[in-house]
Amino acid sequence: MDIGRDNLKKISDYVWEIPRAFRSDMRVSARIFASEKMLPEIFRDHSLWQLVNVATLPGIIGSAVAMPDVHEGYGFPVGGVAATEFPDGTISPGGIGYDINCGVRILLSDLSFPDAEGRLGELNKRLYREIPSGVGRGGNLRLDATELDRVLRCGARRMAERGCGEERDLENTESRGMLPDADPAAVSDQAKNRGRGQLGTIGAGNHFVQTDVVEKVFDEAAARAFGLSERQVVILIHTGSRGLGHQVATDHIRKMVDAMERYDIELPDRELASAPFSSPEGQAYFGAMAAAANFAWANRQAVAWEVRKAWEAVFGKERRLSTLYDIAHNIAKVEEHEIDGERRKAIVHRKGATRAFPPGSHEIPEAYRASGQPVVIPGSMGSASYVLAGTETAMERSFGSACHGAGRRLSRKGARREVRGKEVRRELMERGIYVETGSLSGLAEEAPFAYKDIHDVVDAVEGAGLARKVALLRPIAVIKG
Amino acid sequence: MAYEFIEHTADIRMRVSGKALTELFSSALSGMGDILFPGLYKEGMPLDTERNVSIVSADPTVLLIDFLSEVLTLSYEESVVFCECRLEKVENGMLEATVYGRKVSGFKEDVKAVTYHEADITENEEGCLETVVVFDI
Repeated sequence: MDIGRDNLKKISDYVWEIPRAFRSDMRVSARIFASEKMLPEIFRDHSLWQLVNVATLPGIIGSAVAMPDVHEGYGFPVGGVAATEFPDGTISPGGIGYDINCGVRILLSDLSFPDAEGRLGELNKRLYREIPSGVGRGGNLRLDATELDRVLRCGARRMAERGCGEERDLENTESRGMLPDADPAAVSDQAKNRGRGQLGTIGAGNHFVQTDVVEKVFDEAAARAFGLSERQVVILIHTGSRGLGHQVATDHIRKMVDAMERYDIELPDRELASAPFSSPEGQAYFGAMAAAANFAWANRQAVAWEVRKAWEAVFGKERRLSTLYDIAHNIAKVEEHEIDGERRKAIVHRKGATRAFPPGSHEIPEAYRASGQPVVIPGSMGSASYVLAGTETAMERSFGSACHGAGRRLSRKGARREVRGKEVRRELMERGIYVETGSLSGLAEEAPFAYKDIHDVVDAVEGAGLARKVALLRPIAVIKG
Repeated sequence: MAYEFIEHTADIRMRVSGKALTELFSSALSGMGDILFPGLYKEGMPLDTERNVSIVSADPTVLLIDFLSEVLTLSYEESVVFCECRLEKVENGMLEATVYGRKVSGFKEDVKAVTYHEADITENEEGCLETVVVFDI
């Protein structure tokens, strides 16, 4: 049976609900944030079935939540949020995904587009040379066992200690780039071996380093606080924990599949495998996930350092790039939320969803406390990206979360059927966007038409009150693996 | 080989079948190799790497996913595309196999993981064993 419009109850223009009565094993309702226009696209794949499955997780509270960029994944949909009771509700590695702490960092330059325009092609070539990209490609940093454990414990801070970052980078990174619960001992040797040589690499797929120009500012005060102004050149880095994170998820999902019977957990999909957060399996996964998340923050810090080297080589050492913010979109965190009228801790799973905390939150840097947390939403290569700010409504409706990107609408194979990589490159070049890539077929898979319209997604996020628009970015150069 | 790729919005969904578990597992391994490096494997081509794999899992479906995951990890650790296998034992939740592959300087596709999502070995109308396997890419 398909899930369609008839199964949805309209709560408001941008909020829809699949009631708990829809299926007998649902423990909570499922909520979808989208405009009515976006719904037919969402019905096309298995996203909402996956969301209904998430609603069956033991200990889930509030609702299982889907963002407007939702698309089918495996287990959880991509673009999903689920919170469970702390400390005995379940933690589900599938609710974070294999690319633990995949996320985005945005760097600010002090150059405006007209001043930088003539040298952006040269910058892009240099970025491509400086930053290793592509499938399984190793990096320039090789870590011994002790140093890798330090990175797993201290994340971006360790990179700063090694001279690859500064205090402001850490200040402007979610959780200061370091989750304190990291347990390197819970990370297998296989995972460590896969990650050891991959620090400072972006990988393949939809990961990229992109140079953008601020096209439009919507909220002057927030933009000023974030350091954004029209025509300013900025750089987005999109990557995660690479092979180390993939292996951590694989190892622990396998352990949880075995453990579920012990905890009397029955779920409609093995990929949702979970264990009580407080159980040995739950704690081992949380410690390993936190270590992988730290590795990802160290990775984006290392990539930012490589970006700075390329930038300074082109524009001179006096031209600096500063971090506006670095944010995760595949992660689980223990956070405090108001649940049934009281403030309680919850285990918040975000898979393809971004934390979007409101003004005043003590979790965000002081400089941003009046405006709300910066939320960076990268669009597809060649379309626009957005910087948003978190809101109080997001705390009430989505455990302080917003969307994470445009969201795929067409399969990779489907995109390759429609267009060749060479054509995508030519079209982007004709629009003034420089492209450097190691894989033309990968370029076709990431063609802009393979994604939903980013403007529709962000309009729905703003319409639902989950975040408000601060600035619109237009891409001018991209490198991808 | 008895595998085919079917649509998935973001990842790769493979349908695989075989007359018996040994054939099903063998075809699934070839299919995964075909994702990592399309077109690399041709029947009869020389393979330069062999590794032994032993797995214990709850049931045949979990065993298949755990087997593919284990081989995927080996692939990344050693830069090898594994395309063939000899299964000494696939029964009662236990697998013992020798996998054969070829060293490569890089992969064409970044398979992050083999997932349990939708995997369920059942008998199809032709009397063959069949399942879907979703790969995270």
